[in-house]
Amino acid sequence: MSTEPTNERESKSNRASPSAAADDEPAQYRKSASPEKGKAIIEMAGVTKTFFRGKEPLTVLDGLSLSIEEGAFEALMGPSGSGKSTLLNLIAGLDRPTSGKATIAGNDIGAMSDGELAKFRARHIGFIFQSYNLMPVLTARENVELPLLLTKLSSAERRKRAETALRVTGLDDRMDHYPRQLSGGQEQRVAIARAIVHDPTILVCDEPTGDLDRKSADDILELLTKLNVDFKKTILMVTHDPAAAERATITRHLNKGKLE
Amino acid sequence: MIRLFLIAARNLKRSWFRTTFTVAGSAVALVAFIMLRTVLWAWSAAAEYAAQDRIGTRHKVTFIMPLPLRYADDVRAVPGVKQATYMNWFGAKIPTQPDEFFASMAVESKTFFDVYDEMVVSPEDKARWLADKKGAIVGHVLAKKMGWKVGDKVVLEGTIYPGDWEFIIDGVYKASRRSIDDSEFLFHWDYLNDTLTGEEKDTIGWVTSRVTDSSRSADISKEIDRVFDERDTQTVTMSERAMNVSFMAGFSALLTALDVVSIVILGIMLLVLGNTIAMGVRERTKEYAVLRAIGFEPWHVRFFVVAEAATLGIVSGVVGVGVAYPFVNNVLGRAIEENMGAMFPYFRVEPSIAVLAIGIAIALAALASLIPSIQAGRVSVTDALRRVG
Repeated sequence: MSTEPTNERESKSNRASPSAAADDEPAQYRKSASPEKGKAIIEMAGVTKTFFRGKEPLTVLDGLSLSIEEGAFEALMGPSGSGKSTLLNLIAGLDRPTSGKATIAGNDIGAMSDGELAKFRARHIGFIFQSYNLMPVLTARENVELPLLLTKLSSAERRKRAETALRVTGLDDRMDHYPRQLSGGQEQRVAIARAIVHDPTILVCDEPTGDLDRKSADDILELLTKLNVDFKKTILMVTHDPAAAERATITRHLNKGKLE
Repeated sequence: MIRLFLIAARNLKRSWFRTTFTVAGSAVALVAFIMLRTVLWAWSAAAEYAAQDRIGTRHKVTFIMPLPLRYADDVRAVPGVKQATYMNWFGAKIPTQPDEFFASMAVESKTFFDVYDEMVVSPEDKARWLADKKGAIVGHVLAKKMGWKVGDKVVLEGTIYPGDWEFIIDGVYKASRRSIDDSEFLFHWDYLNDTLTGEEKDTIGWVTSRVTDSSRSADISKEIDRVFDERDTQTVTMSERAMNVSFMAGFSALLTALDVVSIVILGIMLLVLGNTIAMGVRERTKEYAVLRAIGFEPWHVRFFVVAEAATLGIVSGVVGVGVAYPFVNNVLGRAIEENMGAMFPYFRVEPSIAVLAIGIAIALAALASLIPSIQAGRVSVTDALRRVG
């Protein structure tokens, strides 16, 4: 089994910095130093994940091994049922492997309790979903603030960070709007702001452009690229969209629980 | 935590229709509960607010059987008795309105208002009444209801003492204590006694006394009864509160039934709240999964559900009390006091009942959210997210 990427494009780390990230903003939104070259932030060795349908075992990931470097932007493709979401869940600390070892940001996922996994997610993972999943009764700013409620930051600091994250995603003028007052693309931008507001180590994106038209999808992909290039965020993106995969530096293909 | 609570509370805005109907349903149940509790409270108010230093002496067998008139003086002679008065239940009816019930009593006029000094009557009215053998003093609620004014001639029909009885309204009293009925009709005992012959003459219904030291009421009561122990007619003397309680004991089955009904109402409210909360939790499974995915723990999710339910309880409680308070105090209570003053001299929502109602609404809502919150905390994040897409 090969874990080598099937396509690779040049880094765009010399792109212009986002205008929203001003000098007085929290450190995580300033252009970061380059991640340590070659240092793996996601390491999976012989990972198997088996579910049971009644008494019938169903192996979704079959002895999978892979290594993703810090600062990478990788796309994960594959047909339905190939194990993409299961792999994403393992990397995000939502699930544990049945066997094998999954080390994410230095944490052995399989050895962590539920509570430790929750804290791990709060610290290291930023989620971006296909259908945005914003809370409809909260404004854009309040939605973005949600992950910060798990921290000891003051109300003022939470607000400041949420506003900064929204500026980074280009929604300075929509902070007090409710999700129903936003377009799909704008909702996804809020979701991205929510995913980055606590400065996670890894951004996990599950079909982030799946519900968007081409133009909005391109905007979101541009934003993800900016987060990767300018802010050095490690991004792992599950997608069916070849155009989206094009934006990643590496695309991996998963089929029947194995990387091709 | 406060921020989390406020976010949870805002979930009630998701479906105004559902929230409005749930709050309305719960509030209606709460209004019914408050009214029932107020009935129970008002019924016992006569005992609750009874004068501590007032005792009553009646026939040992039943209060329907009369006592000899001389017993009044014998009671007055007992050490510790400050003043005593006597009276007979008259049972008058208004010929044109036979269904109109009010307490009518023939009272010893010179002592009555000393013993019942919380029935406030002006000196002019009292003087007019004392000088008028056919005179009557009536409660202000009864006077207002019947349209009686001082100087009016009133003819009543006797039920215990048959015949048409003519009275002149000489004055109006107003109670300063909640246990006193503001709808009584009081007239001179002499006026009644002068018409009686045979065994009925010179008999009284009961004697009511004020004692010098309320802490000795029980001892003085025993002393009074001891005086009559060796006579043909024995007595039983008890505090006004005990007398009222023993009177209410006759209605214990009804009171128990009202208690049961009020509990059933709370059960219905619990189901209404539980259904709404369970629906909300089912609909928001994916949101709870998202919260879990971004680092919230199961107890956070449970807290969200309970906090939302508690808010629903607070709103329902406030609306329920907000409706019940003015309705009972300004509409229903006045009507009951006017028409059923003998049973409910004071029918108002007590602040303690209002606080209890709000507390119960919150507690029921929290209870109703118990199972849904546990289910929400157990949501499988990966399953729920898979359903999300």
